[in-house]
Amino acid sequence: MFVLGVNLPDNHLVWRALRSFYGLNYHTGKQVCARFQIHLKCRVSELSNTQLAALGAFLSSPATAAPPLRCRRAGIDEQSAVPLSAAPPAPERARGRDVLRELKLESEGRRVIRENIAHHREIGTYVGRRHAMHLPVRGQKTKRNARTAARLNRIDRRGFATWCVPFGLELGPSSAR
Amino acid sequence: MRPSLVRLGGRSAWKGALTAKKSPVCFLIPTAGPYFVAFPNLREARENGEAIKTQARSCTILPNFVGLKFEIHNGKHYIPLMVTDKMVGHKLGEFAPTRKPFSYKCVARNVLEAIC
Repeated sequence: MFVLGVNLPDNHLVWRALRSFYGLNYHTGKQVCARFQIHLKCRVSELSNTQLAALGAFLSSPATAAPPLRCRRAGIDEQSAVPLSAAPPAPERARGRDVLRELKLESEGRRVIRENIAHHREIGTYVGRRHAMHLPVRGQKTKRNARTAARLNRIDRRGFATWCVPFGLELGPSSAR
Repeated sequence: MRPSLVRLGGRSAWKGALTAKKSPVCFLIPTAGPYFVAFPNLREARENGEAIKTQARSCTILPNFVGLKFEIHNGKHYIPLMVTDKMVGHKLGEFAPTRKPFSYKCVARNVLEAIC
């Protein structure tokens, strides 16, 4: 199943499959599922079209997505005669911070990481220097190995997710990131 | 200034103390402000354009440091630094590397034979 061009494997649990998105982990995947009332045993193939559309709409721009639906709470809202749609929206402060709105997914997440590295490089901190040298940033040993840093730490960092380099643009194995 | 160790609860100064605070998610969150050192010669340095020589590498760069010159100790020398507004919030020590980069020095053959 493709959502926004990202392949979610059909036989996977939804909250796990959401990890295919750059910027979603298991924890936030569960939070997204809770937001759209997808139970944790639900597989990707079992999602309805409405749910897929809702997921796609949210994941395309979490910051501007509609706020979560207010649900009828057992024992509290059932007794009140006020219909749910007429219930006054909770004030902004009482709802607290909505972590899902602050998600940075896919290209936006990669851009944030690149900007952070570029910021360090620009002002000339030790962190920026180490990124430029493709060496570990946080005091790890470099006598041997340090392969992860050599692969990842660079000024123009690509990020983790598996994406295809367009044919003809690959730069050869020596410069593989 | 450096908060007391009791207040920090054994945490390092740059992380700040953990205190219980009422929030939607009830976590212990750091509430202490940034760690910084008072520079008595700050005003003079701004007027005269002189560099402030310091060993306080863990001092946070405050907004009123912008435009000042510092000389930050790296363990051996004092590394000059001109503070810009993008550096606010970082520590002074981030701009003065303490390690010397490794560089291979070729030993001449006759010297090598003389040593061995």
